[in-house]
Amino acid sequence: MVSNSLSLNKLKTIISYIAAIMTVIAFMVFVALRQTDDFSFEPFFPYRNVILNGIKNTIFVSIISLLGSMVLGFILYLLQKSKIKYFNALIDVFTEIIYGTPLLVLIIVTAFLIGPAFNSYNRNLFGVLALIIYMSPYMKNVYKAAFSSISHDQYLAMDLFGFTSFQRYFYIIIPQVIRILMPPLMNNFSLIIKGSALLNLLSYPELFFTIDVAQSRNFAYVEGYILMWGLYLLITIPLSQFTKYIERKLSL
Amino acid sequence: MKLEITGINHTYDVDVLKDLNFSLDNHNSIAIIGVSGSGKSTLLRLMSGLEKPTSGTIKINDLSVDNPEYKKHVGFVFQQHNLFPHLSLKRNITLILEKTRNKPKEEAEETAMKYLKLLHLEDQVNKLPKNVSGGQAQRASIARALSVDPEIIFLDEPTASLDPILTHEVLTAVEELKGLGKSFIFVTHVLSFVKDFADYVIYMHEGKIHECGIPDILENPKTNELNEFMKKVR
Repeated sequence: MVSNSLSLNKLKTIISYIAAIMTVIAFMVFVALRQTDDFSFEPFFPYRNVILNGIKNTIFVSIISLLGSMVLGFILYLLQKSKIKYFNALIDVFTEIIYGTPLLVLIIVTAFLIGPAFNSYNRNLFGVLALIIYMSPYMKNVYKAAFSSISHDQYLAMDLFGFTSFQRYFYIIIPQVIRILMPPLMNNFSLIIKGSALLNLLSYPELFFTIDVAQSRNFAYVEGYILMWGLYLLITIPLSQFTKYIERKLSL
Repeated sequence: MKLEITGINHTYDVDVLKDLNFSLDNHNSIAIIGVSGSGKSTLLRLMSGLEKPTSGTIKINDLSVDNPEYKKHVGFVFQQHNLFPHLSLKRNITLILEKTRNKPKEEAEETAMKYLKLLHLEDQVNKLPKNVSGGQAQRASIARALSVDPEIIFLDEPTASLDPILTHEVLTAVEELKGLGKSFIFVTHVLSFVKDFADYVIYMHEGKIHECGIPDILENPKTNELNEFMKKVR
């Protein structure tokens, strides 16, 4: 009886999800057909390699930004924990400023103001740098949450059993921190992927930019926007599902 | 076990322990009781060397507790199991034996299994702490404390976070350890356990040792405070 009602519940859930997805697709079909009579992705076929490259560039630039912001975030975390008041203040001010700045504005300021001030006109480089800077306070918080989740009593236990400093980090602290770190890290990765679309502003050939270019040649705007949207979801939704899986798997 | 406490004061924000002087010999199972805030857990933590007193000295078996050598003779069971959450019950023990006691893998494994069996956990050894019951985790934590072969085992309200059935399960397991030849010092609210297991009772009140003696003092308290305490706990 119990297993029967369980599987019935599961079936209901699956049907509900299918219905929900169909609703969204129906809405999109309605929107598309209101503006074009012969909806087709065919005009984008000649640009498939360019678009594929755009996807690669989006993923590449996002991974670089993720790694960069992990490093910068960790430095911010250490400075915030530092006993030197000036560093604490600096991190506070920096964090407030970044929280208050739209990513779009940060990218423009970094690439068009800060870069040239250092005699660099490498916009792509400064665009990525802007993404890294933008994400670093969020990464700092991820580290903070992960490290503070190890209780005081655990440190007392390590002390009592006589673990050396290296052993503490290697066998006990870091393995736990990584487990706690992974899900929010991957959420941030998703934020970065979405944020990287703004790099089209600097003519960096990522996904948004390549479709934008294709659209300006084949004039298939409706199909182009839907393709663009779909392709982003194709990257981000599996990622978020994978994050949920990892979260279940690694939780302590 | 020989216990000497000389001029202990301990302060967090307020005075927790006030000028404690106490000595005791030839008792191997000491219970510390008292209301919350009486300083009993603090006294236990100081005696175990987990925390350092603001002033004063504690010697156990003629060894000062701030001697680095002392920690090797001590096992501690925390209020909440305090196992390392990312390691299985067995690995919680073998890691300590391999890394801090330099035992070879096989020996560590053998010792871990021996103590986990002793606490009836042989079917749970590969599970993570989050996947076993609170009572099982607490028993694993007792096995971990025993595995380094300490002379003295401290238990800080080991059943405070457990329901009555799990409390009984854990305390029964502790009583079975009587034959191991270890000394026990423990804080608990379970008076039936004190009567069964302790051979000496310390009653703490407002940061001082208010009354102490063999467990019979619980039946015939000399001071009003212990009398009141016994009435309330019953």
